[in-house]
Amino acid sequence: MTHLKTKHRLATDKAMLWMVCLFAALTAVPLLAILGEVLLRGYDQLSWSFFTEPTPTAYRAMKAIEAGDPIPGGIANGIIGTMIMLGMAAIVAVPTGILCGAFLAENPKRRFSQTVSYLTDLLQGTPSVIIGIVTYVWIVVPMRGYSAIAGSVALFIMMLPLVIRSTEETLKILPTSLKEAGLALGSNRARVMLKVQLPAAFGGIFTGVLLAISRVIGETAPLMFTALGCSFIRFAIDKPISAVPLLIWEFFNDPNLQELIWGASLFLLLFVLILNLTAKYLAKKWNQ
Amino acid sequence: MKKIFQSVMTLVIAIAMTACGGNTNKENGREPQELSGAGATFPLPFYNVVFEQFGQMKGDFVAYGGIGSGGGVRNLKDKIVDFAGSDAFLSDKEMAEIKIPVIHVPTCMGAVVLAYNLEGVESLNLSGDVIADIFAGEIKMWNDARLVALNPDVTLPEEAIIPVFRSDGSGTTFVFTDYLTKVSPMWKEKYGTGKSVNFPVGQAAKGNPGVAGVIAQTKNAIGYVGSEYAFAQKIPYAQIANQRGELVKPTAASISAAASGEIPADTRCSITNSDAEGAYPISTFTWMIIYKEQCYAGRSKEQAMATLDLLKYILSDEAQTITSEVHYAPLPSKAKELSMKNLKTVTYEGVAVWQ
Amino acid sequence: MNDKLYKAILFIAAMVMPIVCGGVVYALVTDAHSAFEHFGFLRFLTSSEWSYTEGAEQYGALPFITGTLMTTALALVFCIPFSLPVALFVGEYFKGTKVASVLGTVTDLLAGIPSIIYGLWGFYTLRPLIMALGISSQGSGILTASVVLAIMIVPYAASLSAEFIKMVPNDLKEGAYSLGATRAEVIRKVVYPVAGSGIFSSYVLAIGRALGETMTVTMLIGNTNNIPESITSTGNSMASIIANQFGEASDLRFSSLIAIGLVLFLITAIINMIGKMMIKRARIS
Repeated sequence: MTHLKTKHRLATDKAMLWMVCLFAALTAVPLLAILGEVLLRGYDQLSWSFFTEPTPTAYRAMKAIEAGDPIPGGIANGIIGTMIMLGMAAIVAVPTGILCGAFLAENPKRRFSQTVSYLTDLLQGTPSVIIGIVTYVWIVVPMRGYSAIAGSVALFIMMLPLVIRSTEETLKILPTSLKEAGLALGSNRARVMLKVQLPAAFGGIFTGVLLAISRVIGETAPLMFTALGCSFIRFAIDKPISAVPLLIWEFFNDPNLQELIWGASLFLLLFVLILNLTAKYLAKKWNQ
Repeated sequence: MKKIFQSVMTLVIAIAMTACGGNTNKENGREPQELSGAGATFPLPFYNVVFEQFGQMKGDFVAYGGIGSGGGVRNLKDKIVDFAGSDAFLSDKEMAEIKIPVIHVPTCMGAVVLAYNLEGVESLNLSGDVIADIFAGEIKMWNDARLVALNPDVTLPEEAIIPVFRSDGSGTTFVFTDYLTKVSPMWKEKYGTGKSVNFPVGQAAKGNPGVAGVIAQTKNAIGYVGSEYAFAQKIPYAQIANQRGELVKPTAASISAAASGEIPADTRCSITNSDAEGAYPISTFTWMIIYKEQCYAGRSKEQAMATLDLLKYILSDEAQTITSEVHYAPLPSKAKELSMKNLKTVTYEGVAVWQ
Repeated sequence: MNDKLYKAILFIAAMVMPIVCGGVVYALVTDAHSAFEHFGFLRFLTSSEWSYTEGAEQYGALPFITGTLMTTALALVFCIPFSLPVALFVGEYFKGTKVASVLGTVTDLLAGIPSIIYGLWGFYTLRPLIMALGISSQGSGILTASVVLAIMIVPYAASLSAEFIKMVPNDLKEGAYSLGATRAEVIRKVVYPVAGSGIFSSYVLAIGRALGETMTVTMLIGNTNNIPESITSTGNSMASIIANQFGEASDLRFSSLIAIGLVLFLITAIINMIGKMMIKRARIS
């Protein structure tokens, strides 16, 4: 009797182990499926001209399809737009986020810090489409037009909480002795922060910034209402501009351009995954 | 190595050229301008070609966002564009809401086609009331008796019909529902005409391209799209019975035939369900809409001149011949004459721009 | 730099947060106002009519609230059977091993894939599959969107749950083992009671993510403005109706869409706040 019961218990135990392994392994399937599909369908589109030429018009693409040629053009307009908007967003979000994170780490007990900390969580959880409509109301309407500036404001709002959190968390886990030693040597708090704490926290913050960039680089919804898109290579920041995810959305919606979806997605996916892996690698390295 | 160098150089030159918007062409008596418009996706392929040629001729740069007619009109209202593209003319009520007078300029003619995805079915005949009942969900199966009666030579499958429609506000929807309202009392009462209508069945997609894409991807689907998009995807589309009972395919000739009637002075008119011989019943003009007074939101006089130059170019014979190349139909001469007359009334700070 | 200036600079940087958040709420509330005023707050939330007929415009958020709740709930149901095993795998069975770190990387990468690419995959791979299996004739709908949403939230739920499972003290588990318990029993009787509230809170946060997901849902839900009758019906979520119609809406519809944005903002804010509070409590205990 007890023998049977034990047998049953052991069987359950084994079954559970197998189930856990099976289902955990199944989780890798979507990753492989997505990577595989994007790679297989997109790799032959990646060519030099894909990165140097702007999106073709639907008409040119249609003519090429009718003639049986590959679709001309590429995604250079999107790559440049993404770089411009990300650059502008990061230039503002990184210093602001670091300073704000430093404030939270320096004054953990203050009422105001707790409020700021709560608001950071709130903003981090806000759906990106809402950031998009708010930026439309704030920037696009008063500026009388869609623009790269509006797009970068939306990206800035999404990056900010991520940078704040990673700064705060990295500063908090630094040994307090570090700060105390600095203060004991007679340096003021600003010097200690700039010369001791921030350099020591550099790795963590840098990883955080990389992850923040990889998080917002694929954002589409907020850019639809702010940057709008543009099929030419442009550098003007007060005019509509394209971005790689916006192009993917355009290609998805235009049967003439559908061929280009996979090349653009492959580029975006590789970019994001490499950023992620780099961040993970650096985090590990700096932690040791 | 040499190849890479060459490509880099071409890139640099290409960027330099795009960055300064082509060469400075002073022939027009003005600096090249940047114009921006937004709206209908229906004429987008035509506009793409026209804007490119216009740019080469005059050095002006025209950016056009295909965001749907509804969006174009909103952008014009918000004064963030130089012109709006729309497949639906503004109603009297909408004109009153904008307050400032606007001018409608027809740019070309097109058709809304019923594209379908039915395995093995190469030709399909439809009539107005049947289309209305399909989109109202009253005809549910492809082998419905009324469809079979219209298509005696075709074996229709015993499958559910999946209607596909637009999820965004669209002039194409307006033209399509305008037609249904004219031919079906049931449609008129229940759903009516509009840029967005609450279709009771089926699924929606964004933009003409989106609808064409979904039809191409979905078996047993039927949807309404601008003719060009059905051609591009090589999706078959139906012949439709017109008011005279003739089964008509959308072609440049059958679309033009629909506009053979009277056109009002401001060119705002619907030509669906035309009673002309050989007319395709779901034909339409597509318009660009501009403010009559061009001095707004800090626009310069040169911008106003460039806008007018663009419209004049579109009405020219040169541009109109492009229409049929991209599967649209040219404007009847009556519409061109009226538009030229209307354009002469455009002002900048009260002074006529076209002299 | 003296201390005063330093403190002032930090304070100013910290002030950015309340300003941005205040601005978000202010923009949403002011622009949503006219919709609420026109239809009444409660009627706006409970009306299922979304009709643009000129002169007789009627906008109600119920179909979209329903669509959001259905996709989120279904995504959660699909997510649990995968995220829980991953969490146990990483946090308990193979804690600290190389395999666990590989699986951890896999889930991290899954979390990194942009939502538009999930949408493409759903549209070109999953949708035909659903049509081929005869589950639904048009392929798009609540179900399709939920499946992809589930994949998207697995990493969030799994990594956070794993963290709490890892934190279960070893002496507790060893005590149970010494009494002859099997691993499955230890998980059920020791790990789960101790880490349960933490695991639960990680699902609350995963819900928070699923609620506002936009592009994937827009590409897969079918975009019709009705209350979905079943899980294979098409519909619209709050985020997808905004993505679909914000670009062209004006006047009352514009305001109604912003009002939907405000409702979505409030729901996600509440869910996230509950989740964060639960996590804090779980971490302390």
